[in-house]
Amino acid sequence: MKIEIQKFGDKLVSRPAGREAFLAMESYLLNDLPADELIEIDFSGVKALTPSWADEVVTKIAEKFKNVKLLNTENETVQATLKTLREYSDLKI
Amino acid sequence: MENLQEKLAYEWITAEAGNVDVASDFYCATRDIFEARNDKMPDYLIEKGMDDGLAYMIYSMAGELGNNSFDHNLGNWPDIPGIFYAYNYDGEKGFLMMADRGIGVWNSLKKAVPDLKSDCEALELAFTKKISSRILENRGNGLKFVKNNIFDKNLFMEFRTGNAKVSLNHEMKIIETDEDIKGCLIILKF
Repeated sequence: MKIEIQKFGDKLVSRPAGREAFLAMESYLLNDLPADELIEIDFSGVKALTPSWADEVVTKIAEKFKNVKLLNTENETVQATLKTLREYSDLKI
Repeated sequence: MENLQEKLAYEWITAEAGNVDVASDFYCATRDIFEARNDKMPDYLIEKGMDDGLAYMIYSMAGELGNNSFDHNLGNWPDIPGIFYAYNYDGEKGFLMMADRGIGVWNSLKKAVPDLKSDCEALELAFTKKISSRILENRGNGLKFVKNNIFDKNLFMEFRTGNAKVSLNHEMKIIETDEDIKGCLIILKF
């Protein structure tokens, strides 16, 4: 399953917006998938990302699935956000 | 104070509740108003010549700081809800001003760490440890993101709350101030 983050917006900032995005993903994309399903999170087209938004989405997907890959993470805010989540939210990917 | 918006932010946060300028163009009463205004910032900065990467980084940092005010004062605003939010960039130098009349960092973090002893101690904790006053949720990484990006991008920020002030540039320095600020007053320079 590939999740195109850009479909949730190109400027992804607040925690409430992240929570809403994850709830939509749970219902429409992640529902009934086994825990070992490969989940690819694709950041292409994202202009701005924050730890608050990503903590509600990336951290939660990583807690739910064992095999998660991050794609197209070159954007500086994506890089900085992932660094923060790895340091402070125990993100292992 | 260096500019009009800095003076207005200071007046906005220190005024008696009845004298706060809620008609100000810089006042965002709700999160939706703040986010709509903040969404315009990167295009403004890029149009004035800023590199896209830095513009979106400053926008992301502003998003974390502004949303923090709403997240940690929701249902708890002592008088005027919302934030003062202003920015400017002349193509070489710029600033972002944010202020809220909320409960401040110490009062907020006391819910998670009851034995915190001062505004300075609360600020130190807020910028260095994963901690949040919303104790039933796993959150509290926004200020660390802001701090790391200030170091990486050679920016400057002053963050005042209560009688504490943290200055961030290449290092983090916290001092006790004579004046007591209710809520939070932030200036980011770029």
